[in-house]
Amino acid sequence: MIVESKNRRYARMAAAWFITALFVFPLYYWGTTAFKQAKEIFSVPPTVWSFTPTLRNFEEVFGISFGFLRQQEVLPGGGNFYMAPRLWDSIVVGLFSTALAIAISTFAAYALSRMDFRGRHHFVAWVLSTRMMPPVAVAIPMFFIYKDIGLMDSYTGIILIHALMNLPLAVLLLKSFFDDIPREIDESAIVDGASRWKIFRRIILPMAKGGIAATAVLCFIFSWTEFIFVLTLTQTGLKTVPVVSSSFVTSTGTAWGNMAALGVAAMAPAFLFILLVQKQLVRGLTLGSLKQ
Amino acid sequence: MAFVATRGLRGYITGDSPVPWLAPLVAMLMVFTIYPLFYNIWLSFHEYAPFKRQLVYVGTENWNNLFADPRFWEALSVTFTYFFVLLAIQIVLGMFIALLLDSDEPGFGLLRGLLTLTLVIPPAITGMMFLLLEDPEFGVLTYILEGMGILSGQNPILATSSTALAGVMLADIWQWTPFMVLIFLAGLRSLPQEPYEAAMLDGASAFQTFRRITLPMMSKVIAVAVLIRGIDLFRAFDYMFVMTSGGPGTSTYTLSLYAWQQTFSFIKWGYGATLSLVSLVLILVIANLFIWIAKVRW
Repeated sequence: MIVESKNRRYARMAAAWFITALFVFPLYYWGTTAFKQAKEIFSVPPTVWSFTPTLRNFEEVFGISFGFLRQQEVLPGGGNFYMAPRLWDSIVVGLFSTALAIAISTFAAYALSRMDFRGRHHFVAWVLSTRMMPPVAVAIPMFFIYKDIGLMDSYTGIILIHALMNLPLAVLLLKSFFDDIPREIDESAIVDGASRWKIFRRIILPMAKGGIAATAVLCFIFSWTEFIFVLTLTQTGLKTVPVVSSSFVTSTGTAWGNMAALGVAAMAPAFLFILLVQKQLVRGLTLGSLKQ
Repeated sequence: MAFVATRGLRGYITGDSPVPWLAPLVAMLMVFTIYPLFYNIWLSFHEYAPFKRQLVYVGTENWNNLFADPRFWEALSVTFTYFFVLLAIQIVLGMFIALLLDSDEPGFGLLRGLLTLTLVIPPAITGMMFLLLEDPEFGVLTYILEGMGILSGQNPILATSSTALAGVMLADIWQWTPFMVLIFLAGLRSLPQEPYEAAMLDGASAFQTFRRITLPMMSKVIAVAVLIRGIDLFRAFDYMFVMTSGGPGTSTYTLSLYAWQQTFSFIKWGYGATLSLVSLVLILVIANLFIWIAKVRW
């Protein structure tokens, strides 16, 4: 190990903390905006540290009364900024599309990892190239196709398209996790007379549990943050959280406090999840091509 | 390696053929990528006729219009500017921060964890965040820049055509530089120590060590990061849609956003499809060329 001088060590620490603080600041500011009252949000110079926290924004967005720091009752039915159903839409779409993507891709990843067939390399390249497609080039034709077959504005339609979007990631990532399991293990099982299916169920799936869970978390996050498909393929039936952000822009100005409250609620679960997959994150972000 | 032979469908599923394993994936990719692709090509030879309220065949009119459409060329130029400028900034900044954070000192694990947080925020919400920070009246960033004398009150960042793209880029830099940092850090942390010890004995400078040892050993990691980030930069849509809707003028119109707006705001279904096909072809060519040149393998 190369040892640094004391001054250099302190300089490095100071610079590292400073730069991280620059990246965390917008999050801090957005997070605190959710707890501010309008007059503090619109103040010049901007209020950064000292404000009187309120839960009013959360009360309006989720239609629940927390019963303190309240100036007036929450509107019945939630009012204009009632977003709890949108959070529910996001959760439903995220969970089901993740389940579908994982189900399809574990099978495919097993074949790509364990079976030697002609054109396997080209097949992987094809899967990868679907990851390159601009979403707009899929969203435009899908809009017309969905209208024709009646999937427009439906959970099924969005779940299918989000599963599709996550397939390249899930297949390539799971393949890399399956590749980590030594082939000798399956070969000795084959000698014992086990079938492919049995090897898949009894050996590969249990041994790659952690990898499958990490892949699922990443799929959920990408569905959770997706924008253009939901924007294009829904009207009023359902909307996920990222897409409703524009509904906070009204003729009398933008409801920043409410929007920030929804944003905080959208980020909190994602932050929690990302901490769970910290170890597999780089592998996940690079579609399985780099291992940590 | 021989399997116990079983007959019929059961035998097919438990046997050695990859077909049943890959079938669901292939079906899904066919229905949701190949079919839309052909539908899109078909659409690009048609256009919506408002009076007839239906699509009519227009031949190659959309493709001819494309090359004569100045807004297409502007969108192309914005897309490539966004792509190259941000790729360069995020590589350099990402490498700088990664080198800074490459340490076993206490606290650095926490810093790395904090940086990952930006990666899971919905980009549309990030756009809103920066809309608030760059607000001409009460935005923190506006306040700071005005205080430093860089910005004057008459020119709001996102409503001035010379600065709007930079204002949008800032959101992208904030959200995705940590992506580069994490990947580069993972690469740096897995490098062997011996070459560095040898370089130190030879009295090499920090810059020489970086150029001659770190960069060559990191080339694969950098190539993968550039490929994945590059693909997403080329498809940029969310930030512009939320922050500027392409304006002012055409200063933040990317190809994706222009295609979307032609289809859904101006009801030019055929022309929108044509534009989206152009962006599809461009990205497939550029990405596969890069994979081939940089020899990235999966």
